Amino acid sequence: MKVLTHRLWHTIKGSLGQFLGMAVIIAVGISLYIGITTAFFNLGQSQEAFYKDNNFADYYFYVVRAPESIIRQVEAVPGVTLVTGRIQKDIPVFKDNQERATVRLTSYPLPIENEVNSIQLLDGRLFSEYPADGGIEVLVDPGYFDANKLAFGDTINIVAENKKYPVKVVGTATGPEFTYIMKDASNMVPDYETFGIMMVPHNQSQELFNLPGQVNQVIVQLAPGADIDQAVKAIKDILAPYGNLASFPRKDQLSHAALDAELSGLDAISGFLPLIFLSIAAGIQFVILRRMIKTQRTQIGIMKAIGFDNRQIIFHFSSYAIMVCVVGATAGIVFGIFMASVFSDMYAMFFNLPQAIGGINYEVILYSLMLSLGVGVLAGFTASRPILSISPAESMRSLPPSKSSRSLLENLPGFWNKLSSSWKMAFRTISRNRLRLLLTMAGIVSAVALLIVSMFTNDAVDYMMDQHFNQESSYDYMLHFNQPVKESELLNISRLEGVELIEGIFSLPVRVHYNSRTSEDLLMGINPSNTLKHPAKENGVVIPVPDEGVIISRKSAERLGLKVGDAVQVETLLGMGQAHYADIKITAINYQLFGNESYVSLQQANKILNESNLLTGAVMKVDSVYASYIESELSDMTGINSIVSRQKERDNIMSLMDSMIYMVSTMIMFSVILGFVIIYNSVVMSFNERKRELASLLTIGFTRKEVSSIMWKETIPQAIPSILLGLPAGRLLAELYFGSVEFDMWYMPVIIYPSSYVLAALGGLVFVLLGQWVAGRGIQKLDIIELSKNMD
Amino acid sequence: MDTEVLMKLNNVTKSYVMGEVTVEALKETTLDIYSGELLVILGPSGSGKSTLLNIIGGMDKPSSGEIIFKDRNLSKASDHELTLFRRNEIGFVFQFYNLISDLTAGENVELAASLVKNPLTSQEVLTQVGLADRIDHFPSQLSGGEQQRISIARAMVKNPTLLLCDEPTGALDYQTGKTILGLLKKAQELMGRTIIIVTHNTAIGEIADRVVRMRSGSIAEISLNESPVPPERIEW
Ligand SMILES: Nc1ncnc2c1ncn2[C@@H]1O[C@H](COP(=O)(O)OP(=O)(O)O)[C@@H](O)[C@H]1O
Ligand SMILES: [Mg+2]
Repeated sequence: MKVLTHRLWHTIKGSLGQFLGMAVIIAVGISLYIGITTAFFNLGQSQEAFYKDNNFADYYFYVVRAPESIIRQVEAVPGVTLVTGRIQKDIPVFKDNQERATVRLTSYPLPIENEVNSIQLLDGRLFSEYPADGGIEVLVDPGYFDANKLAFGDTINIVAENKKYPVKVVGTATGPEFTYIMKDASNMVPDYETFGIMMVPHNQSQELFNLPGQVNQVIVQLAPGADIDQAVKAIKDILAPYGNLASFPRKDQLSHAALDAELSGLDAISGFLPLIFLSIAAGIQFVILRRMIKTQRTQIGIMKAIGFDNRQIIFHFSSYAIMVCVVGATAGIVFGIFMASVFSDMYAMFFNLPQAIGGINYEVILYSLMLSLGVGVLAGFTASRPILSISPAESMRSLPPSKSSRSLLENLPGFWNKLSSSWKMAFRTISRNRLRLLLTMAGIVSAVALLIVSMFTNDAVDYMMDQHFNQESSYDYMLHFNQPVKESELLNISRLEGVELIEGIFSLPVRVHYNSRTSEDLLMGINPSNTLKHPAKENGVVIPVPDEGVIISRKSAERLGLKVGDAVQVETLLGMGQAHYADIKITAINYQLFGNESYVSLQQANKILNESNLLTGAVMKVDSVYASYIESELSDMTGINSIVSRQKERDNIMSLMDSMIYMVSTMIMFSVILGFVIIYNSVVMSFNERKRELASLLTIGFTRKEVSSIMWKETIPQAIPSILLGLPAGRLLAELYFGSVEFDMWYMPVIIYPSSYVLAALGGLVFVLLGQWVAGRGIQKLDIIELSKNMD
Repeated sequence: MDTEVLMKLNNVTKSYVMGEVTVEALKETTLDIYSGELLVILGPSGSGKSTLLNIIGGMDKPSSGEIIFKDRNLSKASDHELTLFRRNEIGFVFQFYNLISDLTAGENVELAASLVKNPLTSQEVLTQVGLADRIDHFPSQLSGGEQQRISIARAMVKNPTLLLCDEPTGALDYQTGKTILGLLKKAQELMGRTIIIVTHNTAIGEIADRVVRMRSGSIAEISLNESPVPPERIEW
């Protein structure tokens, strides 16, 4: 057996380039598998543990206000296992630097542990219900804490019911509903500086909002297997007298939806991405082994004649593939563990999960080892099958020159006859090795497709940003007032120096009723002549707002099965006074990428409330020179609840994109490696097979350059169509990927700019050139003297 | 026989350095090659025949010495100059035919023809080797002897000054081998080509105008053959 081991080493050394190439592809596949799967496992596990430890709510009910006593009633509903009543409101914060922020003040009855959506203290200490100094103690989420450079003991000025209160920060905490902190779905990314979560004892919030003995949210956990519809209906009935503003299941909870979308995205790529690399590696192993067995037919015959049995010989050849996989898997595991830690760091940055996401997942490593060995064994044994049919006697006869088959192109004599001999040779060589051709093309197509996939997120985000910031809306600031104001109030703001344009908006939370089904929505009232904010069609073109009727959000349209022309009933959910009802006709559907609001005219919004000329906020465009001046002036105005700066939003998105650059460049590198190895292998195989033929060309008087151009002619007809094919394949892959990510908060279009296609095609050319160049160096070493080494 | 010297080798040596050991494949060798002659180089295996032929054909550079081809000093030629020399002046035939398996017989010949300015037509040379009817066959569809004839046609289509054959019959059976030698002889007689055949088969020496005998890297003897025997009459 020692001899065979020695022979294996010899074979590996003789094909070192190919051996390492395959090993690298396996390594890439395995490291992707480990990186992504570990991230998926760990993220999923830490989500699950976090949800379990903190009793993550199954259902949310928002009311105007309800006495705490209804909690008992809700608890009595069959299927309900745990109920918590609390107060949650978004309120303004005045920062020391005169800037504004918004915090989502959330109350917690003490002790917290057994409540729905309890929180976990991360740092500092828990608030006390009755601090010794008589003030208010709060916890904030770590993102807000860090972004605003807070310290424990610091005071924050909040505004509740039009009164300013100083509150003391005593710690940081997170909860299962705060894993991804965004104000609402109209934000693309969190902005920790201007939006945070503030946690206070329940008694304090009741005082702050003047809601003694009351709550404005009821959150529940349901028994597994309970009749959810029945239970939800029963709870809604209990809450009906208290102004049911909204009710939604866990899957519509924003941070959960974001986390789940990430998980489903990881799940999707954890399969297909490694699969691409591993199956191409398996393919290369297969064709290399088949070729090896063919050329070593005589040696196999001799081995059989000496007395080795089939099993030993098959195992010997298969061990080549297995060695490739062992080397590849080893490197892949090392790099995979590194990648897993990079992923974990990234997710730790994105999501507020208290348990560490990181850590080596030995199970995944074990799977990856099995996976790669499986690839080696499969490729090895299937490729080795022909060994069985080699008979020692027959194998001694020398093999006739490899059979040539005519190329399909020869059916086009007009074209074929114009070709030079070297082109004819190239086409025939290609068509003789169908399997290799198929593999090479599949490899190039995959590599180019992966290049597209690596680059397209950038395009999609760029497109979305353009839509969001330039097409659908072009304002610089959006303001919300504490309560509706008369249109004339805007004059105060428009008088500020640098304000170029100000337009009133009326945002009206509503419940849309249609065929006894409902969907909560936000009516955005704007003046039909407004220019700073618009609804948009599917292709991004803005839709003018009608004087009467509603441009319904895509979300509601999909949930309720609405089409243009249908009439819906809207019920206002203002949280104060009586609900108003109105019937409105749908004039269009709003495919705006973010926020996904429904649009009505200002007049229509007022009419629903039997009011006139009221606004709840404004959007404005300003001269950038005056931006900070205007910001600080606005911050001083007491009637303003929140100020959203789009520049900040844009900066946040850009910095998020910047953090993705490593991912993108790694993927680009992997794609190029894949393409390089596939070309390299194809050229080396073809070269090795025809060394003598090519050397004989040198004796005739071909220069090495000319011989190398013959090799090129073989690569070009395989590479160019594959690169071109890779472009639509990349688009398809991107669509498949997006289709697999379920996140209905945003509408992510598959946008690939022409420039990305061009870049991917160029990338394809680069790896083709590189692979050909490296493999083609063999031509320089081609020894013509070998030809005279005769058997005399 | 014409006595014009086509190529002159003066004190040519070739040694291969392999680590510590230096193999003197060719010791100081001086040889004139006459235009239009059929020269046979004989010698046992390893005696340096191929080395000598490769140096004559510009496939290899000598370690020392001088090679003059038609007043050109080839010993100082660059790789590229040697390539051009092979392209324009030399036709090679080997023991193994080394045809391009993905080109038909005709295309193999045309490929070589495409290299030079005034080639013969492939039809013409294939007729000369008696395979005009196999022009569209691939090497895999031809017997060894037929492949060797295609390889001769491929060498001749460039209309080379020198046709160099290294063991051209080595892989062929007796009868086929003789046919090949007949073809080479015909090429000399009808076309006036200079032909060098390297072989370990002493019987082949009988067809030569001159025989060079080699032993362990040097020329042991050069003998003139007053009446060469036609190839179909020799025996081994
Ligand atoms: N590339 C090489 N490296 C080292 N030794 C060589 C090389 N080529 C030939 N030789 C040696 O030179 C000698 C002559 O070889 P060669 O010319 O091929 O002999 P022949 O053709 O007469 O059989 C032999 O001993 C051979 O081993
Ligand atoms: Mg020899």
